Amino acid sequence: MPDVPPIKPPRIDGRRLRSERTKQLIIEAFLSLLRETPQMPTAVQIAERAGYSVRSIFERFPDLNALRIAATDYSLAQALALAPPRGADGDRETRLRAQVTTRAHTCERGIALWRVLLQFADQDETGQLRQRVARGRETTVSRMELMYRAELSTLPEDERRQLLIALEALTDFESWARMREQHGLSFDEACEVWIHAIDRLLPPTPVPVAASAAA
Amino acid sequence: MTDAVQPGDGGAPALGEARIDGRRLRSERTRRLIIEAYIALVRETGRMPTAAQIAERAGYSVRSIFERFPDLTALRVAVTDYSIAEARANGALRDLDADRLTRIRSQVTQRGGGCERWLPLWRVLSSDLSGAPDLQQRIGMIRQLIVMRMEMMFRPELSSVSDAVRKKIMLALEALLDFESWARMRELYGLSFEEACAVWVKAIDRLLPQTPA
Repeated sequence: MPDVPPIKPPRIDGRRLRSERTKQLIIEAFLSLLRETPQMPTAVQIAERAGYSVRSIFERFPDLNALRIAATDYSLAQALALAPPRGADGDRETRLRAQVTTRAHTCERGIALWRVLLQFADQDETGQLRQRVARGRETTVSRMELMYRAELSTLPEDERRQLLIALEALTDFESWARMREQHGLSFDEACEVWIHAIDRLLPPTPVPVAASAAA
Repeated sequence: MTDAVQPGDGGAPALGEARIDGRRLRSERTRRLIIEAYIALVRETGRMPTAAQIAERAGYSVRSIFERFPDLTALRVAVTDYSIAEARANGALRDLDADRLTRIRSQVTQRGGGCERWLPLWRVLSSDLSGAPDLQQRIGMIRQLIVMRMEMMFRPELSSVSDAVRKKIMLALEALLDFESWARMRELYGLSFEEACAVWVKAIDRLLPQTPA
């Protein structure tokens, strides 16, 4: 039998792992500060919260804009992981509730970052923040297309597009924030507003072929 | 809205007072020109102008600005008041007694026109409200005026449902007809004015309850 070389376990680059972990802690510190005070935190505040020096931040991010971009990517990935499409095959009410609840949680968690993104998007010469804003909106619209496919499929293309634009406006971050911050609605009350409105906006759910044939 | 003395206050003016009024009138005019310069700059650039830019555009010194406004936040408040007054003067309610579709179209056209005209200023005025309670109060007032207008335009439909349902519909309408909703249709989706109006007309028609017979 030929000699089989022993399988070497892949070498783990410990320094790289530690650096990645530091990056992540800096991003999490940035996000937690944003949730507490809805203003862009300073590098000193972020460093203090993360337990590192200001220099550590700028060793990993060339500037605060790069940190904002990294935090946005982190949050988008987290939002997708925490909110897989659920109930897409359910009845109309189940789908409405599932989509609204998921979207509401995303808004609740992400409003502070979203506001910072919009505030700085115009100043970002790399255009990367604008790209993330657009991607966030596309994800929201795609989710609604998936969840309300049955109803949307009954509309001609131009009407479907019009309706999706209206749904996107209705379920915007700031729409959620107004209900919660200005009108003082609870999470559940605000969800009910969206459910009621989406239900009115959507066309009737088509009857499945088998059911209509049986009737 | 302004600090101008109202006619009839305190009886007939003495000669000295008349002279003071002339100076006051000039000062009011300067104030207005500073406010108009601010608005023009925001419309052009979409950004909050600096004191130097405003002064240059208005044709005054920076000192003239701060003689009339203690700081730029006070100027923002004055700009907001001026804009509210202008929007109210130009936004008379129309077609209040018309049929459903006419009222929806009238409301949407008026609101679309308002968004088109005021969006850059709205963005600048409402961008950073921290430490500016007067401005927060004005922004709240603008939102209330928009909602009140919709309540008047859609009174027949809204009167046919319970308070709870009416509140839900109004919150949804407020979100739908927001400045940024309009901005996205125009800037992001590239819709024309008419196409954007059509999106709102269709959505409002679906959101509103049936018109009572």
